[in-house]
Amino acid sequence: MDEIIRFLLEHPPFSQLPLLQIQRLASQVQIEYFGQGVPILVQGGKPSTFLYVIRRGSVDMVRERDGVKDVTETYGEGESFGYVSLIQGKAPIATVRAREATLCYLIPAATFQQLRRDYPAFAQFFARSISERLEQALQHRHATAAPELFQTRLRDLITQPVVTIAPDTTVREAARKMRDAQVSAVLVDLPPYGILDASSGIVTDRDLRNRVVAEGLDYNAPITQVMSAPAITMPADSLVFEGLLQMMERGVHHLPLSEGGLIIGIVNYGDMLRLQSNNPLLLPQRLVRAHSEADLRAYTDQVTATVGALLDAGARVSDIGRAVAAAHDALLIHIIREAEAELGAPPCPYAWLVLGSEGRYEQTLRTDQDNALIYADNAPDDAEAYFAALADRVVEQLVRCGFPRCPGNVMATNPQWRQPRAVWQNYFRQWIEVPNEEALLQTAIFFDHRPVYGTLDTEASLRPIIRRTRESRVFLGRLARAALRQTAPINFFRQLVLERRGEQRGLIDLKYRGTAMIVDLARLFALEAGIPETNTIARLRQSAKISSLGETSAEELVAAFELLGLLRLRWQYRQLSQGETPGNQVEVAKLTPLERRELKEALRAVAAAQHGVAVTYQTQLIA
Amino acid sequence: MFLFRRRPAHLAEPVAAYLDAPRPDPALPWRAVPYTVIDVETTGLNPRRDALLAIGLVDIDEGRVRLDRCWQTLVRPPEDAPVNPESIRVHGLLPQDVADAPPTEQVLPMLLERLRGRVLVVHVAAVDIGFLRAALRRLYGVDPRGPAIDTARLALHLHHDQRVLSGFDQEPALQLRALAERAGLPVYAEHNALNDALTTAQLFLAQASEYESHGATRLRDLLRAGGCLR
Repeated sequence: MDEIIRFLLEHPPFSQLPLLQIQRLASQVQIEYFGQGVPILVQGGKPSTFLYVIRRGSVDMVRERDGVKDVTETYGEGESFGYVSLIQGKAPIATVRAREATLCYLIPAATFQQLRRDYPAFAQFFARSISERLEQALQHRHATAAPELFQTRLRDLITQPVVTIAPDTTVREAARKMRDAQVSAVLVDLPPYGILDASSGIVTDRDLRNRVVAEGLDYNAPITQVMSAPAITMPADSLVFEGLLQMMERGVHHLPLSEGGLIIGIVNYGDMLRLQSNNPLLLPQRLVRAHSEADLRAYTDQVTATVGALLDAGARVSDIGRAVAAAHDALLIHIIREAEAELGAPPCPYAWLVLGSEGRYEQTLRTDQDNALIYADNAPDDAEAYFAALADRVVEQLVRCGFPRCPGNVMATNPQWRQPRAVWQNYFRQWIEVPNEEALLQTAIFFDHRPVYGTLDTEASLRPIIRRTRESRVFLGRLARAALRQTAPINFFRQLVLERRGEQRGLIDLKYRGTAMIVDLARLFALEAGIPETNTIARLRQSAKISSLGETSAEELVAAFELLGLLRLRWQYRQLSQGETPGNQVEVAKLTPLERRELKEALRAVAAAQHGVAVTYQTQLIA
Repeated sequence: MFLFRRRPAHLAEPVAAYLDAPRPDPALPWRAVPYTVIDVETTGLNPRRDALLAIGLVDIDEGRVRLDRCWQTLVRPPEDAPVNPESIRVHGLLPQDVADAPPTEQVLPMLLERLRGRVLVVHVAAVDIGFLRAALRRLYGVDPRGPAIDTARLALHLHHDQRVLSGFDQEPALQLRALAERAGLPVYAEHNALNDALTTAQLFLAQASEYESHGATRLRDLLRAGGCLR
């Protein structure tokens, strides 16, 4: 009997009841055992007469609609079911079936109702679960029907067709055309004529004011004299947030949007401002006004807070990652420019690379720095000293902004990772040709690089070498084996495999046995397909058709990646809000039933993909 | 009829009612049968020499263990069978714990009333039913009456079936705790009469479900596999 009391004491909402009530409750309990597959409640059948609390085992909620049966949720130890039917006195809305041999404590209806009457918190627990479920369904519908603001893509802001003028148009004619069409910008069709490609020019209201009226230019001058060409464009699928950043950085108010090399519309600053209320789109504006260190620090804190807001609003982790990357990139550029201003112009072209999760656009919370610097070959002698000083300043400033130094010293301050182009090319060649343990470790960091600042073309310098991985079966084989070192923690019976003992008991690491496994798989598929992308989702989607991955598996992995990322981020935020240090270890018992179910599905997709890789690469055969 | 052979002429009312209650129909589905699961703590393992110290029982109705219908009592042993120090280690009951408890002759009528018309379920009949029989014979000159089911016997039977099917050849550990754990059931603190009855009750539900899943759904099937008292 004491065990039953103890069990109830450990599980909400019973844990909120006074001990005396729990003791009384325990004496009212009935116990029932259900063999695997046995229906406990039947959809549309007799109303539930008990609140069922799972003592051992788990149950599936199966909802049948239009003849299709769908497992909507899975409940495990300590969780309750049957209360919707019990509270409403109506037929169960779903069939509850024992997923494995299951032992339940049954609380009789009268006792349950008495507790609901006497203890508002107890009543609320069950009420909240019902509304929570509705809300979830609603949110799901909402997200598919009307994307949230932060998920808005620039293309969604296009309201008018593009107005085009020929290059021999006069300034006056151009102004009239803009007035008549009621637009604040027009494109200038430049060779090749008739095609609005990225080489097109642009003329805006501001140009007419600043370059014509203010300068006293002849109204009959050709428009080519006042236009900007080529116009700064952005891919139509970029986030509004990114568009806004681009405008800030480049000092423009109009952005032609490109798709497949052609311009399909123009959005302006006003269009974007109309979208925003109290939302994260305002963030980059703060950066422009940021002057002191405190401003920068406040900015990064704001980014962290924004992640929380995005999370609450139901954003996908991939969108959050892109938004954070845009915000952090802006900060990094700001810091590098300040350093350049202090040190003087760089002695030769260079590029500042971000690596790892930042390089993949997958950073959500502030993490350790991972960066590197590459500069041109044949640099003047003082180049090394200059870039050493630059790296010092930038890294130091990033530390002040809340990005700790990399414990593995993968930073541009480390001379090993601050080298001319030729040295970097050698590094990559070496890693690919001799894929030993250390090389595989470096692969995971450096193959996921992305230039954030600088004029050196890293794509042209490094990607051709990286593309060689496609032909190297040995390299790919080793990479495959490394990607399978961690296995998805799920067994044949779709049960989570949790640590059973020690401090890790009941925990699951959503990074090392979650997202990181997918990142590794995506890198493998991308290198196999010779795709330059670093972002995990982009890698999966783009390599789906041309690697051993396959499209169905790709979409499954994408969904799994979003989900594991979301679970992890939600968990980290929960920890942050409780004043704890965010970690990757999740207590499975504290996840909601839905989260637990999603976790299982995601891990199942990972396990399936890993199995595919093992078969393709015959990983057991590689020495 | 032979059960009535040794029935004395004048029996106390609870005893008569106990003996006269109709037996559950073996053709009934097992869930339709009322059961009482009983466990006893004693001064030793020999029913003829040792004495009862505690009785715990819990009912099963409609396939559900009813904690609202559990019952337990301590029993004062007779002067000539004191709590022996060896057994204290098992049940943890000290002489002073049972000094003020009612003696067997007071407890037995209450117990019989609880058992009337129900199928008895015990784990290892030799002990629990052995002590019940010894007490009934001593005080009323009657035998306990069936039907009764022994969960240890059910375990052996299930194990035997399993062995035939899968070539498994180890004898199962028949301790209550081992069996409960193997069935994935929680074990309540051991060697407390009520807790052991509760653990036995859960084990019985799991076993009955197992038979049910093989199509053996009636009381008769359970009696055939684990019956221990006519």
